[in-house]
Amino acid sequence: MTSGAFRERLFGAWVEIRENLGRSILQALGVLLGVASVLGGFSISDSQRRRADQMFVKMGGLDKLNVQSKAAVRDGRPTAMQQANLGLRDADAIGGEALKADAIQGVSRQKNARSRVVSAYGDQDRQISGIGGDFIPANGYGVARGRGFSATEMDTGAPVVILGTEAAQVFFPKGDALGQTLRIGSIPVTVIGVFEERIFRFREGQRNQFWWRNRIIAVPANLVQRRMNGDAYRRVDRITFRIPDMGAMGAFAKQLSDLVKANHRLQEDFRLDDVAARIRRRNSQGDVYDIIFMLSGVLALVGGGIVNVNIQMAGLKERVREVGVKMALGASGREIFKGFMTEALLLTVLGSLAGLVLGVGFSWIITKSLGIPLYMTPASFVWAYGLAAAFGFLFALYPAWKASRLSPMEALRYE
Amino acid sequence: MSTIIQTQALTKVYGANGTAVHALRGIDLTVEKGEFVALVGPSGSGKSTLMAILGCLDLPSTGTYTLDGHPVQGLSGGELARIRNEKVGFVFQSYNLLPKATIARNVELPMLYAGVGRRERRERAMALLEKVGIADKADKLPGTLSGGQKQRVAVARALANEPALLLADEPTGALDSKTGAEVLDLFRELHQQGNTLLLVTHDPSIAALAGRRVEIRDGEVVMGGEEEDSMSSSSPGTHPAEHHLEVGR
Repeated sequence: MTSGAFRERLFGAWVEIRENLGRSILQALGVLLGVASVLGGFSISDSQRRRADQMFVKMGGLDKLNVQSKAAVRDGRPTAMQQANLGLRDADAIGGEALKADAIQGVSRQKNARSRVVSAYGDQDRQISGIGGDFIPANGYGVARGRGFSATEMDTGAPVVILGTEAAQVFFPKGDALGQTLRIGSIPVTVIGVFEERIFRFREGQRNQFWWRNRIIAVPANLVQRRMNGDAYRRVDRITFRIPDMGAMGAFAKQLSDLVKANHRLQEDFRLDDVAARIRRRNSQGDVYDIIFMLSGVLALVGGGIVNVNIQMAGLKERVREVGVKMALGASGREIFKGFMTEALLLTVLGSLAGLVLGVGFSWIITKSLGIPLYMTPASFVWAYGLAAAFGFLFALYPAWKASRLSPMEALRYE
Repeated sequence: MSTIIQTQALTKVYGANGTAVHALRGIDLTVEKGEFVALVGPSGSGKSTLMAILGCLDLPSTGTYTLDGHPVQGLSGGELARIRNEKVGFVFQSYNLLPKATIARNVELPMLYAGVGRRERRERAMALLEKVGIADKADKLPGTLSGGQKQRVAVARALANEPALLLADEPTGALDSKTGAEVLDLFRELHQQGNTLLLVTHDPSIAALAGRRVEIRDGEVVMGGEEEDSMSSSSPGTHPAEHHLEVGR
């Protein structure tokens, strides 16, 4: 259109909206609430999900496959083979690593024990974590002071220990823990390092969810195996493979499962736990919430849309004469249709802009009160806006069509 | 001189067979370019229906209507709208200005539908308002104007696209006699400038101003259907077919 007809329609629509401010606000309200609820819902669930991702990263990353032992049960009883079985062993870790040596970035083993731990200040029954391989980085630990285990210490099962901050505090409340001696059971061990404090609060003001990680008393796995509750089979409690390539993870899990089963005389006495898969499952649960949020937004938009149609139809009654005059002056039905559509769509645009603002405010308040950082994705904005536009368009069609179908003569005579 | 309005055996029937109302029963009417015709008749005579058809607001049931050389019957709604836009200028008894648009925008509206550019629209609207003598009110809303002024705006708007036919439906019906006379002077002036005017009225004194009187009764032309007939009127109740025979004499 060379005559700027669109601009004229837009201007006319704006005049109409301004002149009927109360009615227009009512009309925009449905859109506004719909947009706000879609955007708010999405943003809150995005924020929650991102916080959870941050937690997993802090726990040492998502790219891990854990293998743990499990009771092999048939008909509700332990199988005879299980009783004779050997559990998870070092051999499983070594065999597993050999399967895909190029994809695996690290293997860590864990062998736990419970024991009396005694120092000059404390005497407690504690869990002892025998660790091997890349346990420290793979689980998000870092040595704050002192040093980690050397390869030789790992191999020989040297009597050395690294303490979590809580353990260091309990057993050595005064002075430096480094270089001191601790007795685990009957074995004297030397403190060679202290871990960084682990802190994670999912929501602000919550207690530290990683507090128990600060209780760690870490010794070489070989020390536990050989001198605490060891056995000739070098059993371990947990093996963790780290595979950054998520694509390789699935195939590896299958191969590993076959290998370990073969090692274990075909007993399913172990459990694979793919951390990434667990997160995918959790995310798909999040999708359910997204659908619920979207549904509530869509329902608000549908409700608002129906109200809009009603208001528009009532408004049309007042405007029949105006339509008649425009038609007499040469406006075609198409022109009238476009005029009404422009009005409705302008209202939708204004309403959804206000809705986006409200949605941001809404999400900010909710996430603030939950105590998690607000995280909004462009996709949420696009969804919220797109849905509003689609429904605004859909519900504008009928009144606009109705107006365009008026007979010019009857419209002119309408009182 | 070219013919602006040419109708033959125009009928309009409302309703279905059983309860059909015959609003027009065969109208033959010819109006030449530059004529000032008064359409008179009592209420219910069918003059509003005829006016609507002549203004292309409605289509006849049967018969033919040619407006400024364009056959109208059988056109779609969109085509009719274009003909109204280009060929017809309406002036209504109740002004029918759009209350939310300024005077200038009211006058611009037909040009907008015709696709005239913004600047030209504005210039032509101002020239027309100048012509009807209220250019100073261009940016006012219609609500602030007196009845006579509103009707002048309506006239300016009707002239916007230089229509072939100016249709005025009781243009002084809502005005007092003094302002009414002023508006009629405006019409006379427009007639002198060569515009073709069709004025619907029930007031004989207004009808007397026109060059020709066409009288409608019970959906038929009883007087003045053809220009040459205007003075030596055919007797009331003459069958339309007889008028038809006289065409082209």
